[in-house]
Amino acid sequence: MSSKTLLLTLMVLAAITAGVFTCKEFNRKNRDLANVKPAYVVNATELINEFAADDSIANKKYLGKVVTVKGQIKKINQDEDGYYTLMLGDTAGMSSVLCAMDTTHFKNAANLPPISSVTVKGYFIGFDKDETGLLGSDVKLNRCVIDNRAQ
Amino acid sequence: MTGIKFLIAVTLLSTTLHAQDKFFTKSGKISFYSKAIIENIEAHNRSVTCVLDKNTGNIQFSVPIKGFEFEKALMQEHFNENYLESDKYPRAEFKGQITNNGEIDYTRDGTYVSKVKGKLTIHGQTNDVETDGKVIREGNKITVSAEFNVRLPDYKIKNEKLQNISNTIKVMVNCPLDPLKT
Repeated sequence: MSSKTLLLTLMVLAAITAGVFTCKEFNRKNRDLANVKPAYVVNATELINEFAADDSIANKKYLGKVVTVKGQIKKINQDEDGYYTLMLGDTAGMSSVLCAMDTTHFKNAANLPPISSVTVKGYFIGFDKDETGLLGSDVKLNRCVIDNRAQ
Repeated sequence: MTGIKFLIAVTLLSTTLHAQDKFFTKSGKISFYSKAIIENIEAHNRSVTCVLDKNTGNIQFSVPIKGFEFEKALMQEHFNENYLESDKYPRAEFKGQITNNGEIDYTRDGTYVSKVKGKLTIHGQTNDVETDGKVIREGNKITVSAEFNVRLPDYKIKNEKLQNISNTIKVMVNCPLDPLKT
């Protein structure tokens, strides 16, 4: 093989590798949180209290982080498209940890008995401070999965 | 004595009435859509809080920006890091009013056209917006929906890196609301 063909072969190989990498990166899906280690493990009521005490500090701590939350199920919501949201927290209060479930883990959410205790792992997306005094303040997570290992 | 009893009864009645005047959700849906050269962009957020007061027509939305889910992770990362800067501005908000609230009969099933006016805050920038929407009453459930365009420059969202993204994004709101019981 001449050095010219060798160089050409190498260039083609490099182009293919770059192409495959770009394509893979471009089509990459969001990670399934079932196999991601959480940054924090916390009780639902403790998490709500942390935000109630100082939401700017708590926001800095949790924003964009994966959190495992243990708590009492207050309500299981299913919207008209079939998506599930779990509400965790103290049933006496209006404030909740809202867990929008990951589509690939719906089955687990659908089979949960209401008013039971559960451990959910999710990605923290924000806190809604109640301004009306009627709604309660909520901690919101999405891409949530039921954490079986913690059960 | 009867006077006091009457006063208490009226106060109790007015507070219960007051509570039933409001409808809310904490898991409403907002999506957006943008036509682009390489690929269309679509994202959905199912963690929207919305409160509607049927007496005054006051309506509020709170949207956690990190709650928008894209099919592709790379797009989601670009959206959060380069465009919406969601670490700095984690929430979008709308506070406004249904200006033709008197034309909506909240006691009868039906689909009503609503005119909504208010202030929309995205990326730390607030603008006056006005759009048409729908209020749908079905039993004791009320659904609010709307579709409107957001111009990225109005909210100082930079669109330099990837010019293939359109400067106008279509936003779709669909929030089924439950009566607020206190």
